[in-house]
Amino acid sequence: MAVAAHPGVAGDHIHPAPEGFIRKYVFSIDHKVIGLQYFITGGLFFIIAGLLAEAIRVQLIKPSGLILSPGAYNGVYSVHGSTMVWLVIIPVLTGGFGNFIMPLQIGARDVAFPWLNMLSFWMFPVAGAILFSSFIVGAPDAGWTEYPPISLQGPPGTTVWTVAIFLIGISSTMTGLNFVVTMLKMRAPGMTFTRMTLFVWASLATAVMNMVATAALSAALLALFLERVFDVPFYDPARGGSPILWQHMFWFYSHPAVYIMVLPAFGIISEVFPTFARKPIFGYKMIAFSSILIALLSFMVWAHHMFTSGMAPWLQLPFMIITMIIAVPTGIKIFSWLATLWGGKIWFTTAMMFSLGFILTFTFGGITGVFLAAVPVDLQAHGTYFIVGHLHYVLVGGSVMGILSGIYYWFPKMTGRLLSEKIGHWNFWLFFVGFNGTFLPMHWLGLLGMPRRVATYDPRFQFWNDVSSAFSFVMAVGLLLLFINIAISLRKGKRSGANPWGARTLEWTISSPPPYYNFKHIPAVLKNPYEFSEPLPYLGLDNEQPPGPPVPTFTHPTEVGATR
Amino acid sequence: MAVGTLGAGTLSGSHDEVVARYNDVDQAYAEQRENRLLGFVLFLVSDVVIFSSFIFAYLYLRSSVPNWPPIAAGGHQLPRFDVAFAGVNSVVLFGSGATMHFALENWKHQKKGRFNGWLIATIVLGAGFLLGQAYEYHSVQLAWSGSTMGATFFTLTGMHGFHVFVGVVYLITLLIQANRGVYTSSKYFGLTAGTLYWHFVDVIWVALFYLFYLM
Repeated sequence: MAVAAHPGVAGDHIHPAPEGFIRKYVFSIDHKVIGLQYFITGGLFFIIAGLLAEAIRVQLIKPSGLILSPGAYNGVYSVHGSTMVWLVIIPVLTGGFGNFIMPLQIGARDVAFPWLNMLSFWMFPVAGAILFSSFIVGAPDAGWTEYPPISLQGPPGTTVWTVAIFLIGISSTMTGLNFVVTMLKMRAPGMTFTRMTLFVWASLATAVMNMVATAALSAALLALFLERVFDVPFYDPARGGSPILWQHMFWFYSHPAVYIMVLPAFGIISEVFPTFARKPIFGYKMIAFSSILIALLSFMVWAHHMFTSGMAPWLQLPFMIITMIIAVPTGIKIFSWLATLWGGKIWFTTAMMFSLGFILTFTFGGITGVFLAAVPVDLQAHGTYFIVGHLHYVLVGGSVMGILSGIYYWFPKMTGRLLSEKIGHWNFWLFFVGFNGTFLPMHWLGLLGMPRRVATYDPRFQFWNDVSSAFSFVMAVGLLLLFINIAISLRKGKRSGANPWGARTLEWTISSPPPYYNFKHIPAVLKNPYEFSEPLPYLGLDNEQPPGPPVPTFTHPTEVGATR
Repeated sequence: MAVGTLGAGTLSGSHDEVVARYNDVDQAYAEQRENRLLGFVLFLVSDVVIFSSFIFAYLYLRSSVPNWPPIAAGGHQLPRFDVAFAGVNSVVLFGSGATMHFALENWKHQKKGRFNGWLIATIVLGAGFLLGQAYEYHSVQLAWSGSTMGATFFTLTGMHGFHVFVGVVYLITLLIQANRGVYTSSKYFGLTAGTLYWHFVDVIWVALFYLFYLM
């Protein structure tokens, strides 16, 4: 393919700038504004979900429970789980980072269908509002998985829950579709598949999963809705239905969903490591293809959530083995990241700290996942706090750590200002220590036999529950520092300039924050961006300096002997 | 119509090839058309997943009872469906797939009179299928909420019927737009999408007809 810059070709023209507050900031079709809208909305939901989590931890300080009735407790943990999965992690990773970063990294001016993108976004806050309104009529109380027959007997809020999750599911499907077309069709000239960044690779795998798997969830939710509202028997065993059917349909979505929640985080880590180790990424192709392999395998393992639900023993074996095989592509990534760090000149920024922390916590959660894939272990640990510990190590220690790393890494690109590294390091250490203190004891509680989803518990479990609750406040303070850091930085943070980290991917070649049209001319791409020893592999870049005084160019702190 | 983004067309050949394929169309339109076509196909893929999930539910529930049609909660044996009537109705729908194909082909050759005729035939056949389905719903001895058979039958065929209904409305819109000059001999993405959608609805019905009436 010809790789020449082509300023002024037909179709290479720039949209007129949007005018007026509404078109600019509310019903904007600019992928960057929509990305920020996802971050802000997701951040609000994150605060709500965090407060619900603290309510859970406060309740469990005393064996007889402290603040909530058992019924209210069920509602609180169900909404906490649903919010974190569908209203925080998935929208922030795919909608937030996916929208803001992905089009910039492929050298595009926007996503393929900007109007659809706006529609997808606006379904998200609406879905959130609907979900939280379920507290008015009685919150759903069967956990985020809402297994029938409990969900069939649940309070009216369960119906509200199905509507909210259905909406967010449609939004995810549309975003996935939009992004697949964008990544397949709108990459800058010369950007072949093996020249895409690893975040884009991860986003591609995620978008395909979002598009395909989420539709299965929509079907399951629709059936649950019909059964609850019109009494149509799908899941009620008394009328020929099957509760196991829900589990199949739900997990056919929700197992891929755990990779929807972690693959973009893998992508973020893959950007942060080479940048702050100042080394080419190790095993570029292996990291890229392992994302695709994980996505494929994730569709074949859903029944490992159902070992205790009653399934044919011969069927358990293939699900157990395929589940364990997923550890292989994941291990390929972990070892490639470690090899990237090896011999690198590591710059311990906050983004890098979170990525390093991610390696520790996610690997831990991954290993307990391999434990749980083994049928005999799962039969013992299923429905205990061991599961709660495991899932928080992968979702908080994996996805949320990835999100935090990404926020510290790309905040300068999004706002043009640097976050405070000092507050950032406090943020990291409080969060990291608090996180491990909160969730590590849960593994022991689980092995001692404490069941999950209970508002009261046997007094012999009290010590580790109190440890967990105490550390959860440390974690909360750490997260509070993130919001404080952002608030301070937005008011008086240092100007970052276009490329404060000396990173090499396309988004750092334009000013921060990028202009609404992103690239004045679409650049041509010669190589993948991770070869630190070589000049930037782009042709036809037309860097625009933002108005105002010139900003300092990048210097590695170790080169000038500077400290943070 | 023009978009602000210049795609590379990396999947579908080089820049020049893309232009050559649509040499009578301007390049921005050609690229936008490719994006929309892929997007539309992906939308249909996700729709297939929704139907497949319900088909999975049907097969799962069907395989969990010893006999099908099952015995309803009240103890009476549920009836088999009337294959003959549904067969005739299916022929009506499949026929509309053929007429839609002729409509699009005639548009490509700019034979507008024939295009209108075939498209109107498609709309009439589609509406006829819906009427047939309404008659069947009315006459079948089965309730939506009475049994898993009723649940899966009415949900799946109802979802399909909804798709046919949306399709008929869409085709009417296309008929109006085409006659108001919205489409030209080289720019007619709406008609392509409408034809794709209509064939998709046909294909889904092939599966449903087999699963409910023949199996």
